[in-house]
Amino acid sequence: MYRGDWRSPVVQDLLRHAINDAESHGAHDAEAFASTSNESEVFIENNDIKQSKSQQLLSIGIRVLVNGSLGFYSTNILTRDSIRTAAFMAVKIARASPKDRFNSLPGKRKVHLLRGVYDRSSESFGSSDAAAAAAEMLEAAKSYDRRVTVDSGNFTAARGTQFLANSNGIELREKLSTFSWTIMGMAIQNGDVSSFDFQSGAAHFARKIAVQKTATEFAEAVTGSLGPRKIDSFRGEMLLTPSAADELIEEVISHSINSDAVQRRSSHFAGKIGKRVSTDLITVEDDATNTEGLGASSFDREGVAHRRNVVIEKGVLKKFLYNTYTARKEGVRTTGNSGGSTSSPPSVSTTNLIVKPGRSSFDSLVSEMKRGIIISRFSGNVNPVNGDFSGVVKGGRLVENGNVLYPVKEVMVAGNVFEALRNLNGVSKERKVIIDSILPYMRFDNISFTAG
Amino acid sequence: MIKDNLRASANSATRKPRVTGLIDDLLSLLSSSKGTSYCEARYHSRLMTEVIFVNGDLQRVRAVENAGCGIRVLVDGCWGFSSTSNMEPGALRESLAQATSSARVLAQVKKNKVKGLADSKMARGEFRLKASGNLRDIDIEQKIKITKEAEQAARKHSKLIKTASSTYRELLDYKAIVNSDGGEVEIHDSKPEFSVVAVAGKTSQTATAHEGVGITGGWNDLFASKSHLDYGVEAAKRAEKLFAARHAKGEKTTIILDPGMVGLLSHEAIGHTVEADFVLAGSIARDRIGEKVASEMVTLVDSGNSDNADSAAGTIMVDDEGVIADRTVIIENGTLRSFLHNRESAMIFGVPSTGNARAFHYNDEPLIRMRNTFFERGSETLYEMIKETSHGYLAKGARNGQADANGEFMFGAEEAFLIENGEIKEMLRGASISGNAFEVLKSIDMVGNSFKYDIGTGYCGKYQPAKVDGGGPHLRCTAVIGGLQ
Repeated sequence: MYRGDWRSPVVQDLLRHAINDAESHGAHDAEAFASTSNESEVFIENNDIKQSKSQQLLSIGIRVLVNGSLGFYSTNILTRDSIRTAAFMAVKIARASPKDRFNSLPGKRKVHLLRGVYDRSSESFGSSDAAAAAAEMLEAAKSYDRRVTVDSGNFTAARGTQFLANSNGIELREKLSTFSWTIMGMAIQNGDVSSFDFQSGAAHFARKIAVQKTATEFAEAVTGSLGPRKIDSFRGEMLLTPSAADELIEEVISHSINSDAVQRRSSHFAGKIGKRVSTDLITVEDDATNTEGLGASSFDREGVAHRRNVVIEKGVLKKFLYNTYTARKEGVRTTGNSGGSTSSPPSVSTTNLIVKPGRSSFDSLVSEMKRGIIISRFSGNVNPVNGDFSGVVKGGRLVENGNVLYPVKEVMVAGNVFEALRNLNGVSKERKVIIDSILPYMRFDNISFTAG
Repeated sequence: MIKDNLRASANSATRKPRVTGLIDDLLSLLSSSKGTSYCEARYHSRLMTEVIFVNGDLQRVRAVENAGCGIRVLVDGCWGFSSTSNMEPGALRESLAQATSSARVLAQVKKNKVKGLADSKMARGEFRLKASGNLRDIDIEQKIKITKEAEQAARKHSKLIKTASSTYRELLDYKAIVNSDGGEVEIHDSKPEFSVVAVAGKTSQTATAHEGVGITGGWNDLFASKSHLDYGVEAAKRAEKLFAARHAKGEKTTIILDPGMVGLLSHEAIGHTVEADFVLAGSIARDRIGEKVASEMVTLVDSGNSDNADSAAGTIMVDDEGVIADRTVIIENGTLRSFLHNRESAMIFGVPSTGNARAFHYNDEPLIRMRNTFFERGSETLYEMIKETSHGYLAKGARNGQADANGEFMFGAEEAFLIENGEIKEMLRGASISGNAFEVLKSIDMVGNSFKYDIGTGYCGKYQPAKVDGGGPHLRCTAVIGGLQ
């Protein structure tokens, strides 16, 4: 019987049992991925602390191949009996599944463990510390300006270990710690309600927790968007903050460089390797070895070493992101981008999506603008397949001849992300980490703004 | 605690917790609680099985077992919630201590304390939701086979169908809930769903059709009205027709909503605005109890039972605070009567809980959520409703919807039929329907005499997913029909 003992040897032993059990039931290949974690979370609601939540999670996902057919079973009951049933069921599901000759598991290769993703002090970071951090964030936002209203927010501290083993001899484990926080709401002054704003922060180390900074950014954004004015429709420049770029650009690029989307013919980038997809101002990479982003870790969901993958270099498309399955379909090598949790078979996913810093400062990006809008947030729809976007500008500020004039309201923005990338005319040196994206300010020309 | 019921047979995945022992253990856990004004332990074990085929390929197959205990306490007017998958008595006590101590710490910085929990009808005993054809007795081979065949049937139907996908998913749940206010209940639930999506045409010009069913029930209930192949063929037929259809012209006009659209209206446009936590945050329904908010023909209900028709997907019988999840009349003959409550909000409003506290997994805390939300029947036939419409549309096939706290809503209808001089003229492509919820409610002038639940394949998202349903008769109202969606 499992007794709440999460020491690594115990879990590693269960993984070995899972693989042996699956093989004894007839699996040709077997993989076990387990994750244990301890989480403490505090919620903020309506300018007040709401409640605390803590949990201990552990679960295992068993993937098996029988003659090229896939089976998968996941459980969070980690007894020896439960593992035996799970392995049996995974094999049973595989026997009922159609064959797919591209199914395979990666072989054993060297994995160097990253530094900078686990903070030992997280082991003593308790729910009272999480409560203090949440209270500090709330207080910082409220004391910045009385007009600030915090609708909701949270602070989460998590630490845990990921384990992976397969029948090709891979046996890996890694400890990870993360601290993350969010705050959202608006400013209210005499019945005038500002745009809604949302800010977040994240770090692997407790000493890098910066709730004050995030709260101040949030408070600045909402108070800065009070007293907005209507403007006429025009065509001009759009300067996206890192948060707005995350909402408008990030998902489209992540989708388009995903080999699964490419193979399903739902990526706009299919067939465009070596072609120009943007002006030369932008270089994009996926890099799980960058420990500033929360997506950092040493190995992927299948146990392949993470690495830095340059996907767009100076505007030219260089590569797609693969896991073992999609790589085999095209006869290429995996890029270490197998993703997913213990509760599903591996998918293809980005880790940390990073846009390299540009040459301009944020101030010079603004001062060079003839007529345009700085967009802090975007609320609307983005179609990751064809790149079309349309929505409402949130926290927008009008710029004319290099001067920031005033906040704007009821402005719609619509266009196409792929077209916009060809009109990208400025990238800032300054960047912001948004959970697992690291993005600069980005300026685009020839964007259509419509008065509402 | 959890005894594996392992037989080397086909269906050995199912495990039956030693039920009575579990309730006793949870009760003894509660009795060890110190310094709490309320304490609740909810064991929830779920087995989810999912099969997805896309264009002839198995895109995903998995079974996921997720079980554990969520413990919630009220200490000094502040909630603490803690969960663990380890059901050993020591681990449970540790989890309880964790919830208690963190609530106590948080209470020191919390300004608005929880005043208490409303007295409500606590459930006791064992509840088993109705199901014909136990899903555990249907082999995984069968689930994979029908999913594959339905997807194939959609693509084989016509050369115009370029893409198709099909999904089978089931949630098998067992819960044991005890609390310090006398709740002591076990619940057995089974919720399967099956759907097919067919896309006609090539990349630039396409038309998409969905055909699916999501219920509370068993295998026989799931395929009671149609076979798995029918779902594939019907999705393909509709996609093919939609491909050839024109777009609707944008206008504010008379619209007859089918039961699925009526379900979406009940859930998105009105249901959310009467969830008491949204009411307290300032939704449009605030301070309007007793007011006339709709036409006299309108009676709107949210129920934890499957009223009027069988197998509604949002059926729970008992909520996750252990409260009997009865029928709640939200609007009675046009007058707003009730909000949807958990025990905390009910206390604030001075009423009993309506049994709307729901949690998706053991490690989620209960929130105010809807169940089956529907309009009551009227007396008109659909034929009469069409006949009495000189110009308008019949909107069918509920798609995704959005609604704001101010009652503004927009949803998609998969197909619309133009009505001229009391006759259906032409099938049109999917259109969006928008308006203000309470204005649309006031404009209702004909209510149909049939009844159907039809949004059971969807999940409602509010921090956590929830399985809900909605429906009603056909309704005739005035709203804006848009062109493209």
